[in-house]
Amino acid sequence: MRAAAPARPPLARSLLRLFAVQGSWNYERMQGIGMGVAEQPLIRDLSGNGTTYRAAVARAAHFFNAHPYLCGLAVGATARAEHDGVPPEQVERLRTALCGPLGALGDRLVWAGWLPFTSGLALIGVALGLGLRAVIGFLIVYNIGHVALRWWALHAGWTYGGRVATALREPVLQRATTLSAPAMALVMGAALPLVARYLTGGFLGWTRAALAAVAAGGFALLWWQRARLSGLRFGLVLLALATLGGWLWR
Amino acid sequence: MSISLEIQLILLAWGTLVGLDLVSVPQMMIARPIVAGPIAGAILGDVATGLQLGVLFELFQYDILPVGAVRYPEYGPATIAAVSAAHAATGTLGLGLGAVVGLITALAGGGSLRAVRRLNTRAVHRAAAALETGDPRVLERLHVAGILRDAVRAALVTAVGLALAQLARGSLAGTVSLRGVVLLNVAAVGAALAGGMSGTFRLVGRGPGLRWFAAGLVGGAAVAWLR
Repeated sequence: MRAAAPARPPLARSLLRLFAVQGSWNYERMQGIGMGVAEQPLIRDLSGNGTTYRAAVARAAHFFNAHPYLCGLAVGATARAEHDGVPPEQVERLRTALCGPLGALGDRLVWAGWLPFTSGLALIGVALGLGLRAVIGFLIVYNIGHVALRWWALHAGWTYGGRVATALREPVLQRATTLSAPAMALVMGAALPLVARYLTGGFLGWTRAALAAVAAGGFALLWWQRARLSGLRFGLVLLALATLGGWLWR
Repeated sequence: MSISLEIQLILLAWGTLVGLDLVSVPQMMIARPIVAGPIAGAILGDVATGLQLGVLFELFQYDILPVGAVRYPEYGPATIAAVSAAHAATGTLGLGLGAVVGLITALAGGGSLRAVRRLNTRAVHRAAAALETGDPRVLERLHVAGILRDAVRAALVTAVGLALAQLARGSLAGTVSLRGVVLLNVAAVGAALAGGMSGTFRLVGRGPGLRWFAAGLVGGAAVAWLR
């Protein structure tokens, strides 16, 4: 027996749990366990004898992998589908179908857009002497977008249920995705020379030339060997060489 | 300069929160070096060093994209350890010494993330049958245990980083020549700039974003030159 979808679902409780959706990330179900925990408040009232609820909980905890900020869309949509009496196989298919698009959208919108855009602004602020104010500004501005996206995702998922693909075609989302890449590129382009100047302020004479050579050569090497060499490894090797050089050249 | 035990404990608590923020909860980006570093600096009463190392490690951070199950170093607690090393070293050695401590800690942090994921996988595998019954208590227990595991991991990584900072100060500060200090600083800043540029280029790609990037570059260079 299914229960009709509640008029006022406990979306806030589900949202709070979504902030920890990756808390038990693992190689077997990836975000699955966190998804199950986040979906629980929305499906708790599914049926009287508990079997429908338990079956829905088990489904909610299956494999899932998408962008963490957009997991709410799948949580809301599958919870709504469970209430609407959608067959279990179809609920599973809906979850599976959402993994790819939500992952790709989140990566483009957040990891390659909003995050570098706002952190680039913070770097510019620090380089221009704003200090801690730039850092606090970054935290506030970034998280306005972050929390808004999480809330929108969960709300849209619950509203659309099985027709959740419609939500992904919303004009606001399309525009944000289109704008995020050029905005990020512009800000990052502006940040790099300002940060370079900020970090090299204490370098004088030949050290500036050496620094320019290391940065340019390192960039070329990292770009050329990008599949094999990371910035971390390059940095560690360079620091080891510098330590050795410092001992030899006293 | 030594750092009191109380301050070390506050840094440890901050590092634990920062480590938890990276993946587990709540991903509000206090794990970014540009936040973790300056706050660590404020705890130590040295915001300038915190900002400088925060910027340096933020550039290293651009080299990675946390997409899917990709392996990556952890720069949050690493930046805290770096700030601790640089602050206590004082003077010119700061950046270089901070970078040495921070990069090693970041490497350890990345390894610890994979270890916790393996432990989580084992726990989930063991509870597979109970999970299929849909017992919500099993689900919640697994989830909370995963978060606790990550908290312990983050605390351990920060503790290792802070210990490394202490060790590096003792062994490097005072024994490295002035030229050695300069070389270390050049290596640290050069590698960070190279990593930052390379990561940004990968992010921007060769499409239309490249024109916007070039426009930003010209604007940023003009402002840097005018200041």
